[in-house]
Amino acid sequence: MEYVLHLLIFISIYILLSQSLSLTAGYSGLISLAHVGFYGIGAYTAAILSVNLGIPFLLTLVLSMLLSGLMAIIVSAISLRTVDDYFIIITLGIQVAIFSVMNNWQRVTKGPLGIPGIPAIKILGFSFESKISFLLLSLFFVGIVWFILNNITRSPFGRVLIALSEDEIFTKSLGKDVYKAKVISFTISAMLASIAGVLYAHYISYIDPTSFTIHESIFILSIVIIGGMRNLWKIALAAAFLVILPEALRFVGMPNTIAANMRQIIYGAILVIVIFRKRDTFTMKSQAIKE
Amino acid sequence: MQLILNILVSFSLLLIVSLSFQQLYQVVKFFHIAHAVIITFGAYFTYLFLVRFSWYLGIAIPLATVCAVIISVLIELLIYKPLRKQNTSSWKMLIASLGLYVILQNLISLIWGDDTKSIRTWPVKVGHNILGAYITDVQIITITASITLFIGVLLFLHYTLLGKQIRAVSSNAELSNIFGISSDRVILWSFIIGSALAAIAGILIALDTDMTPTMGFHVLLYAVVAMIIGGVGSYKGLIGGALLLATAQHLAAYYIDSKWMDATAFIILIVFLVWKPLGFSGKRLKKVEI
Repeated sequence: MEYVLHLLIFISIYILLSQSLSLTAGYSGLISLAHVGFYGIGAYTAAILSVNLGIPFLLTLVLSMLLSGLMAIIVSAISLRTVDDYFIIITLGIQVAIFSVMNNWQRVTKGPLGIPGIPAIKILGFSFESKISFLLLSLFFVGIVWFILNNITRSPFGRVLIALSEDEIFTKSLGKDVYKAKVISFTISAMLASIAGVLYAHYISYIDPTSFTIHESIFILSIVIIGGMRNLWKIALAAAFLVILPEALRFVGMPNTIAANMRQIIYGAILVIVIFRKRDTFTMKSQAIKE
Repeated sequence: MQLILNILVSFSLLLIVSLSFQQLYQVVKFFHIAHAVIITFGAYFTYLFLVRFSWYLGIAIPLATVCAVIISVLIELLIYKPLRKQNTSSWKMLIASLGLYVILQNLISLIWGDDTKSIRTWPVKVGHNILGAYITDVQIITITASITLFIGVLLFLHYTLLGKQIRAVSSNAELSNIFGISSDRVILWSFIIGSALAAIAGILIALDTDMTPTMGFHVLLYAVVAMIIGGVGSYKGLIGGALLLATAQHLAAYYIDSKWMDATAFIILIVFLVWKPLGFSGKRLKKVEI
């Protein structure tokens, strides 16, 4: 039972991550590989503030969202000077740079040793120590984020995002500020990702940089791609599927050392297969401009 | 003086890798991330032949290069070519290539393990002393090999029929098809040449600093940064980009700490994107400017 709860908590964390990525990758057509970077910023801010300064959960949540939002504004304002493939490569670079800061800025992040002893979440005297209560808390956040994303994507702003992902120049000609819309959507998505980071840090109670590598970014991107980029329901299902799938390997009796590699091989293969099969269903970029 | 030599060594490695990558990028028009794994394969096949089977260096290195080239040709024929036939847009090709990278890199980890491997079968020697700086034999070979290869590739592209065809396809694939140049064949040849260069670079890196399954990824990222700084498509720019990147990284390593070399590379990239988004010279990164 504990194991099932643990899986469910992980599924909800990944739903948070992948749905928030869907706002940039799916709606505004900006495939970002730096998403895990913001997840990591959230986790590290929560860990450092609560371990070193003993700041309560609700305050760290707000602070880490603000910090990763700030980072996202800076990052996106720079990287959005490029488009398409270049943007993907730049975000890849940003992810590597954020990882290298986590790994090397030892005075603050303790480098590869990680930060142990992150306290459980306490809200108004109630401590979320048991798995079931933590699951309810994370489901609550999933609900909030889902609600927010649902509203954003149906708002006029969401329609601007869809329009710009389909035809940027046309959207511009309608007098919409495309650059600003992209920066805003990138920032919102980074802030939502940091919620997942805060939850993760408090749940695992120990974080180190290896949880926030580029492979994690690719994993989350593959959830979004399998989920069909824009469909929040399908993305949630894809998250559940991809989290549970490698667990099946454990029941087959595969040793842990191989299972870690097999997990990555599986989602790498899924990515390639999806690109092969779904080529028509998620055409987002207009081909007309490129030709 | 030691600093200058170090810069020179990593400049030459960077130059081969970014040359091989640009060579491919110009023809296929998407970021072939799986190229990173070809670099790694070059090194690991050499390890297999040289250390496990204990064959001669002279046989192991060419054979390893051939094996790595075969893998990339398989990637091209089995994955990229069908995708290209479906008119897949370039960012999807990039994602597919990312997936391939993940698969192959983990395959290497599964086969050879995650620990650091060395292909040095000979004892470590003290390097030659040049004006107070030390340089090893391997580093001398690296510098000469990369400069020779760079000049060789440039001559090849300008003075042979195949080279001219590659340049034709990279400037306009459709028009070259009309003139009877098969772009599929040219792309295949580009893969062969690019991968051979990458595998050689991988072997040289492994000889100098040993190897891990993820070694290719960072090297490739640096090479891409060098390519973007230099302005995509320009060979002079490539030299400039690689030189600037190598210098900045080693200065950062010398004055701050070697662990910040990653971050330095991307700070330079960001600085370029802000003030000089087109690189030293080269093409526009934006679709349109309004």
